[in-house]
Amino acid sequence: MVPMATTAKEEMFQFWEKNTKLNRPMSPHVSVYKWSLPMMMSITHRGTGVAMSLGISCFSLAALVLPEQFPYYLELVKSLSLGPVLIYSAKFALAFPLSYHTWNGIRHLVWDMGKGFKMLQVYQSGVLVLALTLLSSAGLAAM
Amino acid sequence: TCITYSWFCFTVLQSKILLTRPIVASPITFDRLTLTRQIHTPPDTDAPSKAASLHWISERVVSVILLGLFPAAYVYPGPVVDYSLALILTLHGHWGLYQVITDYVHGEASVIVAKGFLHVLSAMTFTGLCYFNYTNVGICKAVAMLWSL
Repeated sequence: MVPMATTAKEEMFQFWEKNTKLNRPMSPHVSVYKWSLPMMMSITHRGTGVAMSLGISCFSLAALVLPEQFPYYLELVKSLSLGPVLIYSAKFALAFPLSYHTWNGIRHLVWDMGKGFKMLQVYQSGVLVLALTLLSSAGLAAM
Repeated sequence: TCITYSWFCFTVLQSKILLTRPIVASPITFDRLTLTRQIHTPPDTDAPSKAASLHWISERVVSVILLGLFPAAYVYPGPVVDYSLALILTLHGHWGLYQVITDYVHGEASVIVAKGFLHVLSAMTFTGLCYFNYTNVGICKAVAMLWSL
């Protein structure tokens, strides 16, 4: 047995170097492959995650930069006298990405345990996550 | 065919685990004890590091902790949950965004810039959240107040 000369990381790096240098066109992928529920749910999981992370970072930056305390800005919003439908919609818009990412996150953890990989199970758990998301978002927004 | 197939599986598996390339054909062994011993023997001293594996496990542990923090925030709002949320939210977000960069950003220079920016962002996020917890109403109370609108 001979130890390998390159690690996986080195080979990945060499692959990208070679490809960038050759300026090869990329094969169409998202533009030609038929979209499926698992595909859409996967990218939505990433999208909600990134959106919430950036949202938290924005909140954090605001906390560092804005002069007044939190209740002051809350009073500002209250003084706008927004209608109940608008308030419910705003709460739903905040609760939705959190709910989706949480329920789908649990689905990911189940996969990490090695369960639920059969195609039917993937679709069933996907639909379950969507149902739970809508229910919990609606419920949270009503609180 | 059985023996050929298991010999093939055995050499491929061995190569994957020990990161070696066979320079001579391995002896055909269908003896179960020998097979088990050869597959499950601890790796040699210049085996690859377990860093990636430990990182993966840490990511899952943090995810589970975060899951537990949500009911905790509802039932026991206060500084303990506030600071735990600040830490775990930032860590979970940081590791998530790191994977996004790994997937979509290519080229040595771009990767270094993007990862540098991410580290600054995460450091700032954690600082801001702790600052909010210390000088302001705190995360749990803020969410409760916002939701009471």
